[in-house]
Formats: sequence, C-alpha cells, structure tokens
Amino acid sequence: MEKTKKRINWKHELKMLPGYLVVIAYVGFLVVVLAWIIGASLSTSREIMTGQVMKFGSGFHWENYVTAWTTQNVSIFFGNSLLYSVVSCAGVLLIAAPAAYVLSRWKFMGSRAIRICLVISMSVPAIMIIMPLYSLAVKWGIRGRILLIVLYIFMRVPYTAIYMLDFFATLSHDYEEAAAIDGCSANRTFWVIMLPLIQPAIITVTIFNFLSTWNEFFMALIFTSGKEMTPVGVGLLQIVNSMKYSGNYGGLFAAVIIVFLPTFLLYLFMSRRIISGVTAGGVKG
Amino acid sequence: MKKNRTLIFLFMAPTVICLLLMYVYPVLRTVIMSVFRVEDLTSGVGEWTFNGFANYVKIFHNASFITSLKNFLAIWIVGGVITLALSLLIAVILTSKIRFQGFFRAAIYLPNVISAVALATMWVQYIFNYDYGLLNQLVTFLGFDKVRWLGTDAKLWAMIAAFIYGSVGYYMLIYISGIEGIPTDLYEAATIDGASKGRQFFSITLPLLKGIVKTTITFWTINAATFYLWSKLFSPVQTEGSTIVPVIYLYDTVFGGKGVIERDAGAGAAVGVVLTIIIIVVYVITEKLLKSNDLEY
Repeated sequence: MEKTKKRINWKHELKMLPGYLVVIAYVGFLVVVLAWIIGASLSTSREIMTGQVMKFGSGFHWENYVTAWTTQNVSIFFGNSLLYSVVSCAGVLLIAAPAAYVLSRWKFMGSRAIRICLVISMSVPAIMIIMPLYSLAVKWGIRGRILLIVLYIFMRVPYTAIYMLDFFATLSHDYEEAAAIDGCSANRTFWVIMLPLIQPAIITVTIFNFLSTWNEFFMALIFTSGKEMTPVGVGLLQIVNSMKYSGNYGGLFAAVIIVFLPTFLLYLFMSRRIISGVTAGGVKG
Repeated sequence: MKKNRTLIFLFMAPTVICLLLMYVYPVLRTVIMSVFRVEDLTSGVGEWTFNGFANYVKIFHNASFITSLKNFLAIWIVGGVITLALSLLIAVILTSKIRFQGFFRAAIYLPNVISAVALATMWVQYIFNYDYGLLNQLVTFLGFDKVRWLGTDAKLWAMIAAFIYGSVGYYMLIYISGIEGIPTDLYEAATIDGASKGRQFFSITLPLLKGIVKTTITFWTINAATFYLWSKLFSPVQTEGSTIVPVIYLYDTVFGGKGVIERDAGAGAAVGVVLTIIIIVVYVITEKLLKSNDLEY
C-alpha cells in the first residue's frame, strides 16, 4: 500500500500522513478486536483465559457455535429477531407508505398537525411512552411475540412516513392524471403505479428499519416474558449473565459473532446505500 | 388533483391510530402520572392520588437518582465534547484529499450498524478484561501493572470510552455531509489568499457548520439522556453506583430491581419528564446561542 501511494504522489500523501494515522488507528483497533473475537469463538475457554487465543493450539473449535446455537438458545433468539425484523419491516411499509403518499399530495384538515406530530414522534424518548404502553398491554391482554411486533411497527412509522414523504413529493402529478384517464382508481394507482416508483427509497428505509429492529434492546427487555419470545439483544445479555455459572467463554464469543453477523453482512453489501441514507434529509437513522 | 376524501381517510387512519396509541396518549399519560401517586404501573386511573410535585421532590432527594444525574453529566459533557470533536476531526480528514475515503467512512460507521449488545459484550468481555483483555496485554507489554478497568473507580470512564468509540461514526457522517455542502471555491479562494489549512478550518468550515453542530448537540443530548443499554451491559446483574444513569434508575423504580424497596410508577414518570425537560432546555439554549447564520453560499 505504501509503495503504490509513493508512486502516485508521495509528497502529497506524506503531508496527509497524520490524517492517515488517525483513521488507520481507529479502524485498526476494530479489526484487531474483531479478529480476536473470531479467534476466541473458535478456542476453548481455557485457551481464552490463559491468553492463547490466536495460537489455535488445539485446533478450531467449531463446536462452540453448535453449543451457542443449541444449548444457549441462540437459535430461538435468532429466529425471533428475524421474525420481528421481517414482519415489522413489511407492516411499517403498509401503514406508513399510504400516509406518506396522501400527505405529499393533499392538504386537508389536520394534515399539518399530523406532519408535525410525525416529526416530533421521531425524537420522543422511549422512556416517555413505555409505562403507559405497558399498562395498556396488560389491560388489553396483548402478550407474546405479537406485542413486540406491533410495538416495533409503530416505533418505525414516523421515521418511515417522513422519509417516504419527501420521495413522493418529487413525483409528477402526470402519473395520476394519466391513470385516472385510463379509469384506474386512486387506490389502485397508488399501489400499482406510485409505490413502485419510489422503490429505491423503500429499499433504503427498509434497511434502516431492519437494522433498528434487529438491534432494538430497551423495548425487548421490558416487554419480553420468557425465552420463546426473546430477541437476540436480550438473549445475548442473558447468555452473558449465565456465564458465571456455565464458564463457557468460547460459546459466549460464538454467540456474539452469530448476533453480529446478519447486520454486518447486510452492511457489507449495502454500505454505500446505508451511508448515503444516514444523512439524507437530516433524519436520524 | 381531485381530493378523494375516502382515500385520504383510509390511507391516513392507520398512521393516525399509531400516532395516538404509541405517542400522543402515552406521552400525555406519563406527564400526568408524574404528578400522581401511582404505586403499581398497571393500576387504573381511579387508584391514582394527586400529590403535586411530591414525586419530583422524592427523586431529587434520592441518592441513587442524584448519582445517576452526575453520571449523566459526565457522559453528556465529557463524552459529548470528545465525541463531537473526534468525529469532526475525522470528518475533516475524510473530506480532504485522502485515499480510500469510502472504505474508511464505511469502517468507522460500522459500529453503528451492528448490535450494540454484541459491541458492548466485546468491550466488557475482551477489551477491558483483567486477565486476558486487550488493554491489559498492551499495558503489560509496555511494562506496567495490570489495571482494573472495570473496577469501581474506572468503570464509568471505561463505559464512556466504549460508548464514544461506537458513536463517532454517526456524527462523522453528519459532519461529512455538512462539509461536502460547502462550496469548494471558498477554499480555493482562501488558498489563493494564502490562508493555511488550519485557518481555513476555523474561518470557513467551522462557521458554516453552525447549523450542523447544533443538530449534533441535540442528537447527542437525546442519546446521553436516554443512555441505557451500555450501562445495563457494564453492570448487567445489579445496578451499581459507578454506572447508574437516570433511565436505569427509572427502570428499577418502576419495574423493581435489587435494592428497590417499593415500586413507584409516579416517580418513574417524573424521571422521564425531567429527562425530557433537560433535552428541550438544551435544544432551546443551543438554538439561541448558535443562531443560524445569514451567510449565503
């Protein structure tokens, strides 16, 4: 790397050296940590405790992953998180997309208030809503996975609606007029013509919704009762807490990698889209 | 375009229901609950008794809550200054003529994408571990004695450091988008006039980033006030004074925890309102102090 740099313009690159050092140190730290965690997930607990992680003296212990997946219930947590993320991503689109479309097209009684409400809702801290939501859930007897799915959908509606609103606003009214002349109903026009037109925005916002739901922790901690509905974040905390008794460090680090992998892989393929989406419209991701 | 009332109603109804059920009603109920004596969270309004500001008086006389506020201040001020300065520095580096910009941006933002629980576990179980941890290996390599990073004295700062590392990428991206919005001819003119890189930063970049800085301060304040996950993972089993934050206190007060004698949902609601007021006050003050400039570019 150093050589190719020199060939290009070493004088300039040398001037940038302090800058390179800062970012390389920052990224290098993460690389070292991740490499060690992967190494530890393939080592025995004894090797981890005695600092023999990257030597693999007794070979690669893939069984750590099997232990984590089966004995430590990661398979259940993983399945739950997948269910929550996929279902809520779809649900949120069904609710937010029509609203975003209507808000971008017409002014009506309360439309301004709804817009403002959506923007404020994006930054309402969870602590201001969890207590009444908890008592509502108890009162209406909503429990189990369905409760978390509903909460996750509702949690992402404001962000998704505001994000899509901007994209609908850029679409020309000609589409609807042409569709109306052909006798297409307004409802059908939306689902068949308008919604597919903002496909890039749908993909970006869905990635963010997926990441947010997969990584959600606070709601999950409060509203999960029992392992059969526990998602990965809370599940990992439970594994960490039971470490004292099980002493299975290899399994713990394997669990960390399993939890880490899905969003990491998504990021690997989508990083460009994610990075440009973070700052689009100045909204929080 | 023709207004279609039925369509508007049908398309808006689910979102309006969501707003009312998930945000408007809960926020109002939390605010009202904070001035009532509510022992059990699930008790109906009929069982509430009005007690004015007694919940607020109670929490501000509680040693745990005061400790949690002090920890919040440390996270907010020390963590905030370091995070915002570091992310601005990296944003400036990654918008200058440096190679592999895309890779560095993506890699530094990465911690924001992966599960924070996994990330915090890496810090607690590896980086800060006393026996085999990364930092202590480094420390012994340099010939010093091992440090108890997660001992009572150092734990808060260890937690803040870990939190900063994970947060920088997000603020960096916001700053980068701000810097990239500044027209390059300003810098070209400044270079012709002989202004140094440092001078250009303080005379062009920083003043034009005022609005962005304001946004990042607000975001940071929200994140610091609602700080929970990292504290939970640094003291997973039992709440500790070294890492307690207001939301941990709120959780223990409302849902019960070790050392909590009686649950008090009203006091929990008061904590929530206090945190929200802090966020709003900081927002208003930064808006006033950093008035958006009339500079046009």
